[in-house]
Amino acid sequence: MGADLFEVSVNLVKMIIIFVMMVQLVPLLVWVERRGSAFIQNRLGPNRVGPLGLTQLLADAVKFIFKEEFVPEKTKRFLFYAAPVVSLVPAAIAFGAIPLSLPINIEQFEMFGSTFGPYRFAFQSFEVGIGIVFVLGISSLGAYSMLMAGWSSNNKYSLLGALRSCAQMISYELALGLSIVGILLLYGTFDFATMIDAQQGPLTFMLLGKEVSVPFLPNWGIFYQPLGAILFFTAVFAETNRTPFDLPEAEAELVAGYHTEYSGLKMNMFYIGEYGHMMAASALMAVFYFGGYDIPFLSPDSVRETFLGWGLSANKAAIATAFLFHVSMFAKILFFLWVFIWVRWTIPRFRYDQLMDLGWKTMLPWALANTIITAIVIYIMRTNWS
Amino acid sequence: MDVSILLFYGLATIIVFFALAVVISDNPIYSALYLAITMVTLAFVYFLLKAFFIAGVQLIVYAGAVMVLFVMVMMMFDLKKEKNSFSKGKFANFIKVGSAGWLCGLIFASIMLSKGMLPLANTNTPQAVADTSTKELAILLYTDYIFAFELLGLLLLLIAVGAVAVSRIKGGTHE
Amino acid sequence: MNSLNMLGDFFLSPVGINHYLGLSAILFCIGMVGVLRRRNVLVILMSIELMLNAVNLSFVTFSHFTQNINGQIMVFFVMTIAAAEAGVGLAIAVTIFKRFKEVNIEFFEQLKG
Repeated sequence: MGADLFEVSVNLVKMIIIFVMMVQLVPLLVWVERRGSAFIQNRLGPNRVGPLGLTQLLADAVKFIFKEEFVPEKTKRFLFYAAPVVSLVPAAIAFGAIPLSLPINIEQFEMFGSTFGPYRFAFQSFEVGIGIVFVLGISSLGAYSMLMAGWSSNNKYSLLGALRSCAQMISYELALGLSIVGILLLYGTFDFATMIDAQQGPLTFMLLGKEVSVPFLPNWGIFYQPLGAILFFTAVFAETNRTPFDLPEAEAELVAGYHTEYSGLKMNMFYIGEYGHMMAASALMAVFYFGGYDIPFLSPDSVRETFLGWGLSANKAAIATAFLFHVSMFAKILFFLWVFIWVRWTIPRFRYDQLMDLGWKTMLPWALANTIITAIVIYIMRTNWS
Repeated sequence: MDVSILLFYGLATIIVFFALAVVISDNPIYSALYLAITMVTLAFVYFLLKAFFIAGVQLIVYAGAVMVLFVMVMMMFDLKKEKNSFSKGKFANFIKVGSAGWLCGLIFASIMLSKGMLPLANTNTPQAVADTSTKELAILLYTDYIFAFELLGLLLLLIAVGAVAVSRIKGGTHE
Repeated sequence: MNSLNMLGDFFLSPVGINHYLGLSAILFCIGMVGVLRRRNVLVILMSIELMLNAVNLSFVTFSHFTQNINGQIMVFFVMTIAAAEAGVGLAIAVTIFKRFKEVNIEFFEQLKG
């Protein structure tokens, strides 16, 4: 066991930074959502407070914090208060288990008169060997928050919204799980980092036992699993309760669904939970189908060599490389977050039976077909037939 | 003091506490939520035992699907606090609880007395990597246990048909 | 005195197979009390889940301490069967509830036909 004080404290700080990063992205996303929706609908959106309306975020935050803590009578108080927390925690844990950049290898160095051994810091809150299974399992716990909120509010609209959302999440979890089986078959691992490593370099695959390379395309999962990517992204929309699947909060029928009775900071925590799930989903989308932190045609080693060539020490070069690749990962995450917002303001909401039909009668069979066909194709392609 | 001792006793306390709460609580919805906590904590015990894949499946299947289903059904019923949630009869209850306690004591005694009878493997071997142990599990599942696995598939199909048959509504919402 | 020594041994020794098995035994007996004493069908089903979980824990424990992965396969099977059982049990409970607005086990006498 080589865990000394330095390593433990760096890991702790890392966890906190990633959590804060997730939370701090939420107001920005709210702003993007409001401005983006305004431009999509040919309006202006919030543009009065500060440049581009950016200080609106601050005003919103202040409003959320200073609103009266209102709890209706006859609620189940403990569950009422616990529900927002239960919505936030799984999202944070799921996001923390996804690698956001290369692991940083630190060589031995001296500080305060003592040497610190070589370290390896993963660019994520914590490493779990069974990455995908863990993330899926933890994020499926988010369903409890809705059920708790809906039932404890003692309001029939809340309860109906909670039941809807829960049935929806259970139904789409099947399609979600099956849609990534193709990716698992392809890379043969549950571990995110191994998966991303396999997506480096130009598009290379086995064609009937011979290796074929396409130099002008990156080796990303989307080229092997286009159907899986579409199914995964659709299922993720349903899992995060975003339009076109935001039945739990259908304003027209259910007031605001499971968070009808919530206000102030508790409401804010639901927002953070929802956006946190979106971030985790975007990160998963990037890792599975878009190479994770991979930058096309740029290998980490060559980048590190370049940094070393500029006269940086080995440790600094490793850190700089990790941050460069982190920017790439983050750009991908932000792009998918924008797609979330884009879709929300473009596609109208489904009816409830349409939603269930889509989940059970369309997506599940397609995901099954994708799994079987992928398995057969991989077997045929990787066997040496000559 | 080893960290693993602290971890184990912490998790064990949480598990036993919430398992008791499942049985004692008057309100079945709270029971279900306590059971969900128990299951999640058990998943972390499986992590301690280095059964990573089983821990993940426990999170997905038990905590994420089965218990959510339970909670959902109970919230649909909108069950309130129950008046007679426990069986009556002092003597019968004494026998019931006593027999459970007796069984518990018996198992404990047998655990104690059988110390050293089972040849234990060295668990201090370099930490099993999650990926390889999962691969082993999969290979075993599709070779030695293939018939049992197929039988499970059949069982699930039967259960799906049975559940639909039991709970179908006359008329129904779909044609 | 001998048993007291054994108890002391149990709590002071480093965590090993006995501790996990003991936890499993306690969990199983709690589940058993639940099945015997509760009258709500759903709570009885949940207690059965608790007992199944206790069995799973002992399987995983043996699998870990003997380094034999066959035990985990059994856990896999138990989980599948538990999920299936929950599905059918809940379906029956929903049907009974729709008819009698009651989830007490006494109303299941109606199943005699």
